[in-house]
Amino acid sequence: MLGENKFKILLDLVNAATKDELIWMNGYLNGIVQNHTARPQPAVAATQQANKITILYGTETGNSKRLATDFASRAKQQNIHARVIGMDQYRLADLQKEEILLAVVSTHGEGEPPIAAKKFYDYIHNNGFKLDKLKYGVLALGDTSYPLFCKTGEDVDGQLKKLGGRRIATLQKCDIEYEEEAGSWFNNVLQSLSLQNIEQPVVELITAAPKKTGKQIYEGTVLTNINLNDRGSKKHTYHIEISADAVAYQCGDSVGIVPENPTAEVEAIIATANADGNKKLLFKNETVSIYDLLKHKINIIHLTERLVKQYAETVQQEIPAARMNLLDLLKIYPVKDTAQFEDIICKMNAVSPRLYTIASSPAAHPGEVHIVAVKDKYAVNGEEKFGLCSNFLSALEENSTQHFFIQPNKRFRLPAENRDIIMVGPGTGIAAFRSFLAERDVTGATGRNWLFFGEQHFVSDFLYQTEIQSWYETGVLTRVNLAFSRDQKQKIYVQHKMQEHAAELYSWLQGGASFFICGKKDPMSYDVEKALLQIIMQQGNKSNEEAKHYLEQLELDGRYEKDVY
Amino acid sequence: MSDKKKLSAIEGIKTASDGLRGTINESLKDEITGAIREDDKALIKFHGMYEQDDRDRREERAEKKLDRLYTFMIRLRLPGGFISPEKWIAAHHIAGENSTGVIKITTRQTIQLHGLLKSNIRPTIQAFAEAKLDSIATCGDINRNVTCASHPKQSSLHAQIFAFADKISELLMPKTKAYYEIWLDEEKIADKKEEEDPLYLQHYLPRKFKIGIAIPPNNEVDVLTNDLGLIAIIDNGQLKGFNVAIGGGMSTTHGNPETYARLATVIGFVDTEEKILKTVYEIVTVQREFGNRSDRKLARLKYTVDRMGVDEFKNELEKRTGFTLEAPRPYVFNQRSDYFGWQQGENGLWYYTVFVENGRVLDDEKLALKTALLEVAKTGKSNFLFTANQNVIISDVTENDKTVIQTILKKFKIIEHTEAASAIRKNAMACVALPTCPLALAEAQRYMPSLISKIEPLLLQHGIADEEIIIRMTGCPNGCARPYAAEIAFVGTAPGRYNLQLGGDHQGQRLNKLYKESLDEAAILQELDGLFASFKKEKITNEKFGDFVMRKEIV
Ligand code: SRM
Ligand SMILES: Cc1cc2nc3c(=O)[nH]c(=O)nc-3n(C[C@H](O)[C@H](O)[C@H](O)COP(=O)(O)OP(=O)(O)OC[C@H]3O[C@@H](n4cnc5c(N)ncnc54)[C@H](O)[C@@H]3O)c2cc1C
Ligand SMILES: Cc1cc2nc3c(=O)[nH]c(=O)nc-3n(C[C@H](O)[C@H](O)[C@H](O)COP(=O)(O)O)c2cc1C
Ligand code: SF4
Repeated sequence: MLGENKFKILLDLVNAATKDELIWMNGYLNGIVQNHTARPQPAVAATQQANKITILYGTETGNSKRLATDFASRAKQQNIHARVIGMDQYRLADLQKEEILLAVVSTHGEGEPPIAAKKFYDYIHNNGFKLDKLKYGVLALGDTSYPLFCKTGEDVDGQLKKLGGRRIATLQKCDIEYEEEAGSWFNNVLQSLSLQNIEQPVVELITAAPKKTGKQIYEGTVLTNINLNDRGSKKHTYHIEISADAVAYQCGDSVGIVPENPTAEVEAIIATANADGNKKLLFKNETVSIYDLLKHKINIIHLTERLVKQYAETVQQEIPAARMNLLDLLKIYPVKDTAQFEDIICKMNAVSPRLYTIASSPAAHPGEVHIVAVKDKYAVNGEEKFGLCSNFLSALEENSTQHFFIQPNKRFRLPAENRDIIMVGPGTGIAAFRSFLAERDVTGATGRNWLFFGEQHFVSDFLYQTEIQSWYETGVLTRVNLAFSRDQKQKIYVQHKMQEHAAELYSWLQGGASFFICGKKDPMSYDVEKALLQIIMQQGNKSNEEAKHYLEQLELDGRYEKDVY
Repeated sequence: MSDKKKLSAIEGIKTASDGLRGTINESLKDEITGAIREDDKALIKFHGMYEQDDRDRREERAEKKLDRLYTFMIRLRLPGGFISPEKWIAAHHIAGENSTGVIKITTRQTIQLHGLLKSNIRPTIQAFAEAKLDSIATCGDINRNVTCASHPKQSSLHAQIFAFADKISELLMPKTKAYYEIWLDEEKIADKKEEEDPLYLQHYLPRKFKIGIAIPPNNEVDVLTNDLGLIAIIDNGQLKGFNVAIGGGMSTTHGNPETYARLATVIGFVDTEEKILKTVYEIVTVQREFGNRSDRKLARLKYTVDRMGVDEFKNELEKRTGFTLEAPRPYVFNQRSDYFGWQQGENGLWYYTVFVENGRVLDDEKLALKTALLEVAKTGKSNFLFTANQNVIISDVTENDKTVIQTILKKFKIIEHTEAASAIRKNAMACVALPTCPLALAEAQRYMPSLISKIEPLLLQHGIADEEIIIRMTGCPNGCARPYAAEIAFVGTAPGRYNLQLGGDHQGQRLNKLYKESLDEAAILQELDGLFASFKKEKITNEKFGDFVMRKEIV
């Protein structure tokens, strides 16, 4: 039935094809035939659609955004117009109108969506609507060292399917070394888009098993653990030195530590459930005693709503949707029997590791990692409580064994040795810069170093004061500016100190200096960025837009880097 | 003639200091440290401050990678130890806000605050200024706070004599405006001529200079321990003038035989106010020119006098004053204690001397002394006078107001407290020493009270509990509590160890001698036990402990 030319083309194609290709073509044609019968569509229309896509990103630390924008520019090269937008900016009503949607989303907390993605995530999860026009693909960023690897990505992918969307690429989960996999995933996406008719399911096209970054777990020995704050301070900030054979890391990296649960809490749980602590159970195909399970393996504090819901279902009781501690659940909504209890704890999440920016330098402190951890404090109806891991760390005893892994941070690196750096690291943010300065000190780097540090009180909270003083005296530190917020009536913070030295600061930037922020994300890093923008505006007499652009350029050049949390 | 040897470092700092300004302003701006720059440490003394650090906390803070806890001690200028109720209230609140809260009455009749952070110095001095208080020249190589017999009970002429303390203080004030510029943000003076200083010139004095005024028969100011002592000569109700005594000083240095304590030598008598002030002024100029500027250990007037010889010194002085000193007039000292409790002055006003152990005014579980004094001050019905024995006199209370004050003193158990203190405790003094004093070798004010509590039973046991014995302790041989002029003294040599000095007289006219070296508490108590026993047995009537020890040639 084919015309001569067409038939010739087909023959050429078939003869040139390998066995696999033939199988593929077979399936491919099949697909087309089916779809034609299902809903005939003019190829042209399809091509038009393929020229417009939306790339959504949900990010906490910027990786997903970076990828999304990178994808967009690569799409443009293929004459595909891609609209890039953050999930928090996205008008949710548009979802039904979308034809081709790519989502790049990471997972945070305990398998939770990034704050910026929460709205979108919740929206699609209360399925009040259908998305049968939608063709989509999800790229999930995550970290295999967290128990719920790429959970958010999985949820989004699964949920869009439920709502009637059709995949044009299977879910790709990526570990922290995501670039390569993300790249090839997007290639496949482009490929399927460029096909004349994107109706056909390309699902089988891509097999997506995450390439594990396989982190090494080090067994370290705690050398020292000192509270750096003096008497009378409101803070408890611990300087912890851990030695480990052949530990390998770079300045800017973090350590990951999995905290143990408080013994009192564990015993209370066992008592309340009147379970037998020594009884062995199977958890993630590993047999452990109930005690060890509760003490070392699962998270028993501040359970996610998902787990509370799960608990409610198991015990068949009404429990309001809120985060709770396992012990409180057991007290208020008792289990039927120990069997039920065991069933519940086996379904719990493993404890998540916490990250701590490394405060030591490989060159200056070989065979050691140092961290500086502040005891996290919060109140539950008036009663003061301490964060799980920071509290655990505060009690670490010298010579005890502590396991940890190294969490690389490629986007927080010292520039060339002759480059100037400006470091803004109030509170525990000093960690990264103690690492930087120690490194630059022993390696004799020639670039100038400017530190902004801040805390509550000069007398009691000047973390690493003597070290900073000697770096200043020996000239390793060119400038130091300090902001102690509570030593005077009006509060003074690092950003105020930056403003005070605006001209000098801008001239450093103009001279090629890199600008680093480490420490609390909210509000510190936002206020510092605001101040930085103002300084760029005033000193460089630029408009708001120009200043923003100046900063974006710095970021692209790797001269504006943040390690904030 | 003045030493041609290499000048001591401080001489250079003073001369180059641009009127005691140095780089103090820059030092205050250094964010990274609580300390000030090396040279400025010497200069702020002239502004009444010392940089210190809490020695108790050094080790612990070093562990925490924290620098030493640098703070500043500030000493007020209160000639004769007089302060109005308004000023006391101000000092009370300033101490609460910016310092440790403890107000320390010193052995020179003024008060000190400890623990000021660098950032608090300015606010503190400004607050003091508002209350018309200053700390100018209370430290440094310059004339210090002038002491004066404190109790008006002693003489109807007290007020007249007391006025000399003020006049002398004013006469010997430095002319530089640095204090006002640096601390009180006053305009820099355009014309430096305004602050030309004919007395101190560029280099001030070789060393600190101290002046005290005594009104016989009480010598509670320890007049002879001053570089320059004035002894009021009173003849049937008339102030005739003063005997002039030069070259007193306590400080010695362990292991430096060239250093010694010395009581001032009475060199003559002067009458009219003009002559008195002239004499004082020129004694200072002689020391300025002849004092040793290369070795600070030998720079005090006492060494100048001995190097020149008393006569030579007197000649030089008379050359400068243009008149000769008359022969000293007779006078008698018969005691050195404060008059505790209520006393009426010849002026008819009332005076209550409060016993303040080692001069530390604070509220603790035992006694709310600080609050009590604040309450008294708030009534506005009395002034305050600090004594050279580190006590405070609630002074100038009218007959009518006496009951108001009495009720407050009762309410806060001040009367109980003062009356309960044993004779030995009332005659005891201890210097500051640890933790703030950088020169301390041993504890003093923190330890003396407990040692006294162990000495009291011994006295009781030997039946001599009522003996008035002048007993003093210092944490080092510098002698801030004038130990060498005591009947019994403990001079710190190392933690927990003290030289036991014995044999000073009760009136402060004879120095004591070293009895035993570096004793610990047990040894001290054992020695005293023995001494008290033989004193009880062998003393002749009215013989004082100090005299007994000498007569028996125990030292
Ligand atoms: C507060 C006070 C002792 C007390 O408990 O009351 C005191 C405290 C100090 N004296 Fe004194 N002296 C105090 C009266 C004395 C006296 C007694 C007197 O003047 O009647 C003497 C012995 C008399 C004399 O001067 O010879 C005295 C002889 C010294 C010396 C030795 C001076 C010398 O000639 O070598 C020093 C060390 C120095 O100046 O180098 C010294 C140094 C000090 C310093 C400032 C330590 C220092 O140089 O850094 C002490 C501060 C401790 C602190 O933390 O407060 N202080 N000092 C007295 C303040 C008096 C005032 O209001 O001005
Ligand atoms: C890249 C990176 C680097 C970091 N570097 C450092 C560093 O150098 N130093 C440092 O100190 N920290 C650092 N952190 C933060 C650190 O990882 C931890 O987040 C921090 O120590 C708190 O963890 P925690 O287990 O002590 O507190 P958690 O137990 O995790 O609690 C954290 C918060 O959760 C809430 N919460 C927990 N339990 C309950 C409950 N039962 N009821 C109500 N609310 C509850 C509270 O608001 C509490 O403040 C870094 C984080 C990141 C991501
Ligand atoms: C505090 C914290 C918690 C995290 N929790 C998880 C998790 O539960 N599961 C997971 O797969 N990845 C987790 N990650 C890893 C991030 O998803 C990963 O770093 C990702 O690259 C971040 O992408 P983003 O910058 O777009 O947010 C966590 C990271 C942090 C800092
Ligand atoms: S005597 Fe010594 S220890 Fe005591 S205050 Fe004076 S200098 Fe300090």
